[in-house]
Amino acid sequence: MSRFFSGLRDGVGFDILLVGAALLFLLALAGAPLVYNVLMSFQQVDMFTLGALFRPFVGVDNYVAVVQQPEFWLVTRNTLVFVFGSMAGQFVLGFALALFFAQNFPGASTIRGLFLVSWVMPGLVVGGIWSFILAGDYGVLNVILKALGIIDANVFWKSDPNFSIWAVIIANIWLGLAFNMLLLSVGLAAISRDLYEAAELDGANAFQRFWTITMPMMRPTIGAVLSLGLIGTLQQFDLFPALTEGGPANTSNVAGYWSWQLSFQLYDFAKGATVSVMMFLLVLVASVVYVRSTRHEVRG
Amino acid sequence: MTRTYTPWILLTVALALAAVYLFPLYWMYVTSLKTGSEMFANPPTFWPNNANFGIYPEVWARRAMPTYLWNSVLIAGGVTAITVVLGTGCAYVLARYRNHWIDVGLFFVLMLQVLPASVMITPLFVGFNQVGLLNYPRTAVVLAAAAKAMPFFVVLVRATFMSVPRELEEAALVDGNSRVGAFFFIVLPLARNGILVCAILTFMSAFGEYIYSKSIIQSPSLQPASVGLSGFLGPNSTDWSSIMAYSAIYVTPILVAFVILQRRIVSGLTSGALK
Repeated sequence: MSRFFSGLRDGVGFDILLVGAALLFLLALAGAPLVYNVLMSFQQVDMFTLGALFRPFVGVDNYVAVVQQPEFWLVTRNTLVFVFGSMAGQFVLGFALALFFAQNFPGASTIRGLFLVSWVMPGLVVGGIWSFILAGDYGVLNVILKALGIIDANVFWKSDPNFSIWAVIIANIWLGLAFNMLLLSVGLAAISRDLYEAAELDGANAFQRFWTITMPMMRPTIGAVLSLGLIGTLQQFDLFPALTEGGPANTSNVAGYWSWQLSFQLYDFAKGATVSVMMFLLVLVASVVYVRSTRHEVRG
Repeated sequence: MTRTYTPWILLTVALALAAVYLFPLYWMYVTSLKTGSEMFANPPTFWPNNANFGIYPEVWARRAMPTYLWNSVLIAGGVTAITVVLGTGCAYVLARYRNHWIDVGLFFVLMLQVLPASVMITPLFVGFNQVGLLNYPRTAVVLAAAAKAMPFFVVLVRATFMSVPRELEEAALVDGNSRVGAFFFIVLPLARNGILVCAILTFMSAFGEYIYSKSIIQSPSLQPASVGLSGFLGPNSTDWSSIMAYSAIYVTPILVAFVILQRRIVSGLTSGALK
């Protein structure tokens, strides 16, 4: 017994205690719910069986029912548009800004740091502000776009079925842009100046230097940033209730928000669990890419 | 001749870009001060004609903001406490060794980092219902949100521990310290700043937490400020000056803290998230 306690104080027992406490907590509140979620997707879960320990199994009925919902394919399409639209916008704009702020001028890192305020803002507040900016009648974005001559008539971003998903994408790009830029800046800063000087002496122009030095050297960073962007976008929830609530007629609904609506607005927990299992499979693909791309860095 | 001007031109462009990017924040503050008709004016005014500062105390009282904000502080404080107490030790062990088991643990943590809250909320709600935790809704939200925040915290703090030289800890052990002593008196003080920055980041994100609170907490007197805001924010909102005043009161403390700690936060993030 005393060996056990001295091990806790002075040996491997101490490590196991430290790591075990955290992992047990995570196992109970993240691992177990995940398994429970899969279990529920094969059960009949309604208001009557919600508190029951054993519920009737229904096989794949929930999955069939979810796929047969009229909005299923619309939501699938929206999820893909939302994910890839947001990722592309965040990455391209983030990369452009990172390249700009990699130039040597006074205050570059301080001004770049200011961009990150978007990242610490509560998502619901960001959604609220963009909801006002994107308003059809009196939104400031329409006024600016009209003044620039880009559009002739007001675009009803939130209520036009053709644009509603883009309203959320615009807000999400704003939200995630700064984090992308920051991570890409770190990658850019790690590239040796000597390479550029050597290329310049050899007569390579700016475009050639970008294409033959920057891009190849940035490959691992780009992989990690893209997978983090995918994960961040799949985790986005707060913008939907603030901007469109998935509407009009589900034209801006995505899997995460739909799953929540099924569970907490229609109280159909089985279907909510089923949709989130489907979404989890998508997240799994993203996380494998992410873990693979950060493995070397994280093991350090 | 032109060379010497280039940095200043770049600085001007940078300031312009920052102004465009931060415009939504400016718009929040300006809109909160506008009165009824000016809010919907076309073209909009970019500076309020007669600023109505009275909206702040009015919204503060009418929307019961002290209660909501206090709940936000309680929830964020609870989440941060659990995350720091459990996560720091875990990050330390994952940074200290390199073997097969550590790889498995890291993989587990990284996988949990990617789980969306919208996937977790359904099983958490049903599970909490079964074990009776829904009767203590704020505690339930704290537990759920801490599990969400911890993996990210562990990954960031682990990078901090990696930068603490192993030799210092080994020297302490040679001098007769126990492992516990070396951890608390040598390693922790050296990693203090990194841990503090990550704790602040955890607090900030838990302060804005929405989905768990919205789903789990039914009673308005226990809800945090995010749920309070959602009560009058939606696709058809019109009371914009109140929404913006509420938002401004809600986020200004976060923004001030961020601007003060900006340099540390940025360096903490860049060393952990990607390096």
